[in-house]
Amino acid sequence: MYNFIQIELMKLKRSKIFILTLLGAIFPSFLLFLSAKFGEFTETISLQTFLSLVNMYMSLIFAILLFTIIMSYLFGREYNEHTLKTILTAPTSRGMFILTKYAMFLLWILLITVITCISGVMFGYLAGTTGFGMNVVLDSFRELLFTNILLYLTFTPLVFITLIISNLVPAMIGGAVLTFTNMIVASSKYGIYFPWSCPYLISSGEILEYTTNYTASYVIIIVTFLAGLIISYAYFRRNDIPL
Amino acid sequence: MTEYVIETKNLTKKYKDKKVVNNISMKVEKGKIYGLIGKNGAGKTTTMRMLLNLASKTSGEILLFSDKPNKGTYRRIGSIIETPGFYENLTAEENLKILSLIREDYSKENIDNILKTVSLDDAKDKKFKDYSLGMKQRLGLASAIIHKPDLLILDEPINGLDPIGIKEIRQLLKKLSKEKGTTILISSHILSEMENLADVIGVMDNGQLITELTKEELYNQLNKSVDFEVSNLNKSTLILEKIGLTNGIDFKIKQPNTIHLYSNLDLRDKINELFVKNGIKVQKIKLCEENLEEYFTRTINPKIEVTA
Repeated sequence: MYNFIQIELMKLKRSKIFILTLLGAIFPSFLLFLSAKFGEFTETISLQTFLSLVNMYMSLIFAILLFTIIMSYLFGREYNEHTLKTILTAPTSRGMFILTKYAMFLLWILLITVITCISGVMFGYLAGTTGFGMNVVLDSFRELLFTNILLYLTFTPLVFITLIISNLVPAMIGGAVLTFTNMIVASSKYGIYFPWSCPYLISSGEILEYTTNYTASYVIIIVTFLAGLIISYAYFRRNDIPL
Repeated sequence: MTEYVIETKNLTKKYKDKKVVNNISMKVEKGKIYGLIGKNGAGKTTTMRMLLNLASKTSGEILLFSDKPNKGTYRRIGSIIETPGFYENLTAEENLKILSLIREDYSKENIDNILKTVSLDDAKDKKFKDYSLGMKQRLGLASAIIHKPDLLILDEPINGLDPIGIKEIRQLLKKLSKEKGTTILISSHILSEMENLADVIGVMDNGQLITELTKEELYNQLNKSVDFEVSNLNKSTLILEKIGLTNGIDFKIKQPNTIHLYSNLDLRDKINELFVKNGIKVQKIKLCEENLEEYFTRTINPKIEVTA
């Protein structure tokens, strides 16, 4: 597996999408910094509040778009660049191939999480926030990490769709649709049942506004994850590889 | 005993109700170059994809190196299926490194040597997306042979190559076959190349392997004829009939003044002598032989008359 991850990292060399997603990870903090600079906040806010807002914008809006780009690039480029036939006849087992892709997807998300957190602290400092402390940063990082990992789990059905469509554009459109749906649903009582809203609601504790029982949301995330994982794995193993 | 590297038994691939590969039983002998020819959509690529496990078979059996295909057998195969696929943001060297890492046999020296073999050593640092079609084909071939496979499965490997490139690849494949004993299954639309390269030719049409023959068998099956350009067609015809040849079967009149002899070609000296003795001027005698392209056209579509 280590060898395959190393190969996946090599594939990202000179990749514009890779750079673009790293910039995307900075974007929520940057926007909040601009808001602070242009007087959107009436009073000085604490770093804790600044990072909470970063996490919220990231989890509910930017993460879904970013993760869709990453996922469709990781899985879809092998179809678009016709490399599947080269890699699989090397040979690589189809099972190992798709599991490596999932592992690389997670690794990329972890990197995004770290960058979002660091940029949050930096822009928070530049925005003149108060209450700096390692605990504040670590708590925020833990919350974002937990959200992003839960969100990662909900992306397996989208992987399946990418494998079927094998094109970046429909996946991007799907990501945009999902983002807007998320924005509408997350603040309603149905948010706790929507797989892509659950991660933020759980990790931020906002779920308590709607229910005291986390189980249903966890079950929805896990079922979404397993269903997507199983069908994407089964589909990829069985289906013919396009030329 | 003959050793076969590829054996298929009643290999069939169906898409919905259409059989794109229909009951193919093919044997490729060790060390031979097997040329697969056929029209577009004949089933060549699908057959190769099934051999490489890129497409599943609907029914039938595949044996590679006398064994059911497994990871070990696939490691002994190099392949190109249609246009080679590589990562566009990476250089030739980086792309080959990825494949070598997958095969766990990475060696920079090996990559440098193989790029030299396919004349890409000067362009090894160029990104794949900046390569010409011919360069991409060369890189595809490099990736197919870098791990010194025992079997090469090459679908249209000379597509996009210039004549010099074609010649180089032909020489390389012949060398691999003769010196290393590499078995090669190759398809191409350039039939003159296949005639030049292959030891055995398989003709596919509508998903079926309609004929499979060695080069010797192929030459025996190629139509041959002798054309006589004469001054008097009627008199010439009478002479030929007198020696027992039938118009329309053994020979044919081709206007304006040519007799096209299909059979008894060994009598051409005697016929010429008879024509001359009877005062007929023989302006030209031409021995004609079908080539693979004409044979292929005749085999695939017998309605099209092929003149040798």
